[in-house]
Amino acid sequence: MRTANIPLREIFNEIPKEKREETRLSFEISNKLDSLMKERGINRKQLAEAIGKRPNEVTRWLSGEHNFTISTIAMLSAFFGKPIITV
Amino acid sequence: MCKTFFVTLRCNIKCKIMSEIELLFVDSGDRCTLYTIQFLSDEQNEFEKFISKFRNDAELNPDFQAIMRFVEQIMDNGALERYFRREGKMNDSVVALPILKSRLRLYCLRLTDKILVIGNGDVKKSRTYEEDNTLQGYVMDLQKFERLLKQEARTGNVEITERQIITDKTFEI
Repeated sequence: MRTANIPLREIFNEIPKEKREETRLSFEISNKLDSLMKERGINRKQLAEAIGKRPNEVTRWLSGEHNFTISTIAMLSAFFGKPIITV
Repeated sequence: MCKTFFVTLRCNIKCKIMSEIELLFVDSGDRCTLYTIQFLSDEQNEFEKFISKFRNDAELNPDFQAIMRFVEQIMDNGALERYFRREGKMNDSVVALPILKSRLRLYCLRLTDKILVIGNGDVKKSRTYEEDNTLQGYVMDLQKFERLLKQEARTGNVEITERQIITDKTFEI
């Protein structure tokens, strides 16, 4: 199979570092949330109902594209009884 | 002369309808291998076309860079279902980036959690992709390619493992 001539790493490097880091953190938080949900055995709908949110909000949190506020992180940490992030 | 005219006409119509596609390897990260497709009649592959349109577009560059940031993370985290917007039909693997609000859409085939075939994309001007001929064309190209790829996999001409696609075939769509 031939390789496409796409300078992917060069394109990534054109993106401001802080923006790349923002996305990396958002993916990490979404992955942590996903693993806590699996550990608890609950799906998106059940989590949304338990914390009084809409399921599409949980979908956004799990997408890796959400800009989490401290308030949301604190609320999720309190619900799961475990830290979502550590500082 | 008349017969020659109709033979030529039929050939021209057929050439426009039938195209040959090649699968190309793009890159791989810790948890995902990226591919794209190329129409043999075109100079650029589909992902390259998307990049060329928006990489230097001052107005749409922030939306383009956001999509590229997701592609970078998908390479390291996997092509997990929850990172994508579900597009296409129930029986295909067409997905789009990004999930959140954006002026752009990039269409892909999420074949496994570790294999992503990236197609073309464009500015989203309508509510659904079906209302826009250009976007619908990109989705249909991926749908047709997936059907052929899976057909060839069933007959053993293509091997799709968890992490890679093994083929040197060209596909007629």
